[in-house]
Amino acid sequence: MTVALALPTRRVEEWKYSDLARALGDVGFGDDSAEVLAGPVPAGVEVFALDEPNRPDWVKAHYGKLSANVVSAISLAKARGGIALRIPKGKIIEDPVTLDFAGKGHVRALLVLEEGAALTLFERCDAAETRNAGLEIVVAPNARLDHVRISPVSGVVQVEEVSITLARDAFYHGHFANFGARLSRIELAITLDGEGAEAHLSGVSVLSGDAHADVTTHVTHAVGRTLSTQLFKKVVGGNGQAVYQGKVTVAHGADGADSRQTAKALLLGMRAEADLKPELEIFADDVKCAHGAAVGDLDSDSLFYLRARGIPEKEARHLLIHAFLEDALTDVTNADLREQVRGAVSTALDQVAT
Amino acid sequence: MSSAALETKETVAGLGEKYKYGFVTDIEMERAPKGLSEDTVRYISAKKGEQEWMLEWRLAAFRRWLSMKEPNWARVRYPAIDYQNAYYYAAPKNTPLKQSLDEVDPKLLETYKKLGIPLHEQMALAGVAVDAVFDSVSVATTFKEKLNEAGVIFCPMSEAIRDYPELVKKYLGSVVPVTDNFFATLNSAVFSDGTFVYVPKGVRCPMELSTYFRINASETGQFERTIIVADEGSYVSYLEGCTAPKRDENQLHAAVVELVALDNAEIKYSTVQNWYPGDENGLGGIYNFVTKRGDCRGVRSKISWTQVETGSAITWKYPSCILRGDESVGEFYSIAIANNFQQADTGTKMIHLGKNTRSRIIAKGISAGKAQNTYRGLVSVYGKAENARNFTQCDSLLIGRDCGAHTVPYIESRNPSARIEHEATTSKIAEDQLFYCLQRGIAQEEAVALIVNGFCKEVLQQLPMEFAVEAQKLVGISLEGSVG
Repeated sequence: MTVALALPTRRVEEWKYSDLARALGDVGFGDDSAEVLAGPVPAGVEVFALDEPNRPDWVKAHYGKLSANVVSAISLAKARGGIALRIPKGKIIEDPVTLDFAGKGHVRALLVLEEGAALTLFERCDAAETRNAGLEIVVAPNARLDHVRISPVSGVVQVEEVSITLARDAFYHGHFANFGARLSRIELAITLDGEGAEAHLSGVSVLSGDAHADVTTHVTHAVGRTLSTQLFKKVVGGNGQAVYQGKVTVAHGADGADSRQTAKALLLGMRAEADLKPELEIFADDVKCAHGAAVGDLDSDSLFYLRARGIPEKEARHLLIHAFLEDALTDVTNADLREQVRGAVSTALDQVAT
Repeated sequence: MSSAALETKETVAGLGEKYKYGFVTDIEMERAPKGLSEDTVRYISAKKGEQEWMLEWRLAAFRRWLSMKEPNWARVRYPAIDYQNAYYYAAPKNTPLKQSLDEVDPKLLETYKKLGIPLHEQMALAGVAVDAVFDSVSVATTFKEKLNEAGVIFCPMSEAIRDYPELVKKYLGSVVPVTDNFFATLNSAVFSDGTFVYVPKGVRCPMELSTYFRINASETGQFERTIIVADEGSYVSYLEGCTAPKRDENQLHAAVVELVALDNAEIKYSTVQNWYPGDENGLGGIYNFVTKRGDCRGVRSKISWTQVETGSAITWKYPSCILRGDESVGEFYSIAIANNFQQADTGTKMIHLGKNTRSRIIAKGISAGKAQNTYRGLVSVYGKAENARNFTQCDSLLIGRDCGAHTVPYIESRNPSARIEHEATTSKIAEDQLFYCLQRGIAQEEAVALIVNGFCKEVLQQLPMEFAVEAQKLVGISLEGSVG
């Protein structure tokens, strides 16, 4: 089957800072299927391999329903494999469940949290191969998902779309640590579909060399009394390019929606680039929405303060950069995962000439 | 109080009605045949008595335009424009150049009176020289002598093309190239008139320059072309006010404004745009698709845009600054009010190319009724723009459940020493503020106008005095019927 879905170029506004067609070149994504492994799966959690026949009803009900963007449509069309997980009603899982994405090509995953369930999801990506992943997450009423994703430095193109829908009083926290690739893009499409639903996003990018990292979010407040927050911090060295595009939509009649959005970038390399586009789209009047964005160097006053206290410049800069990123790290609830992200950040910072 | 101030007050008092400027002056018009073709372009050029080079320039633009597509990225919706179903040139008949105001058709003067333009002696007191543009042809230019003394050229574009071809050749299309965008290219082909300002080296323009644009004849587009050049060390402040009479059809307005500031020069450009916004049901109104751009070409030059956008059914407008010269400064202060079915997509671009360049953006958007109001902006710092600074604040106010307010800022930085800050908020009028006013006996509508004026204060302050008063009143008028 041929799929007539063209890869976006920078002429497509949503892909202005990430020219996917160019990064992939003539070969495109190809037709391969990548794979995803879940582990360790606790008792009670249902796992279904998407390449098996006879999909259960819960897979049929949700698979392929949320995906929004063109790249995700391609993975839906081409991926032959993948995994679906179901956390049954009321099931609370303490230890993180890991999803490991590996291999070359397209891959899909589906995660369904039923009413009152709770899970911590740790997502890892193998850096070696070009990949287009699509992850759909359904969070039922009163369910809670803590999600941490680390994407390591990679020399190839890695793209993922995560689409999430949150029902009444559902809670989602996602943290996205991104250390860049030839072209790296994580796109989050989140719909707050029930009153009391909350989505909190945070993330850090530390880039060096020629790394590119694009975090694109689209949070839709479909109903009122919903809350979303976003905090993204980026440190860019070398010739790196950090991109943040965040769109918040408040639907007509979604009174009482509350949204805050912050994106900050620190440029450390003479040829480093940051592109920020925090976007608000508001169709209701009783809302509170704010966003802030800033790009710059380290604050010279803070630097002076530390140096005046006998801390050498290099060390002072190091401290301030860590402090700058720390803001976005503290939100990671699971202590082990938080340490893992911190470790990855430290390693990446060593590569950035500060 | 000076008589000018008194008149301003009276004028403003008279504004307390609905769309006051919805009248049509019945003057015989001379029109180009309907439709757009090379012949139309030739007709306009011939009517203007232009030289060959100008005609060629227009034709090149027209041929280019034929290959271009109308942009659709803005958040505005309108039925497709039939470019063949409009007049591209309309001029009041029999208008040889007038020597004095007495020669001007009294009906025209009557129109201006209704608009509240003090075209008579009061102008001296108001310190304003008005180059009133009435449907494409400038019919009266005042204070020429005083400006002549200072060496300032302030004349209709058609005159400048005739009398100062070298200057026009040098600057026309140098900021907004012919190929810039669909509407700018269209303008390049068919522009009928506009204003040309040249302030020579070291001259501080002795008065605020002002042009009033009006669209009068039905079904004609107004295609203004304005160029303001401030030579080294000069200063000029330019006011532009716009009103259009009430019409049911949508009228197209595609103007181009080019500003050039050379070393140490400063240009302040203020606009109050109050064109017919259409009625309560979204019928009629002006399509305002304007390209405005300033080029801070010289070191330490400064360009400041201030706009109050209350009119037009659709506004598509992004007054921008190219900060080319080292230490140049760009400013953008904007109030955009959209009520009923109005749609506004407006903002700015600040392109930092030179070292130590600074820019500041203050944008206030107000949406009421079923209107959609979008701020769309770009701050871009290029690699060589050491120590560039930008501060942006855009706030949106929503009045009513059915309107929309959108913010689309692009921030691009390629220099580590640059600092860019952006803040945006969206909210409705605070209940407690409204309650406070109501409790003190201020009627709801008045209270809303008061609060909105407070919300806009930072921008209103940037306007020249005469405009500020009118603008404040306009804010109130524009929001009539949006509450309660």
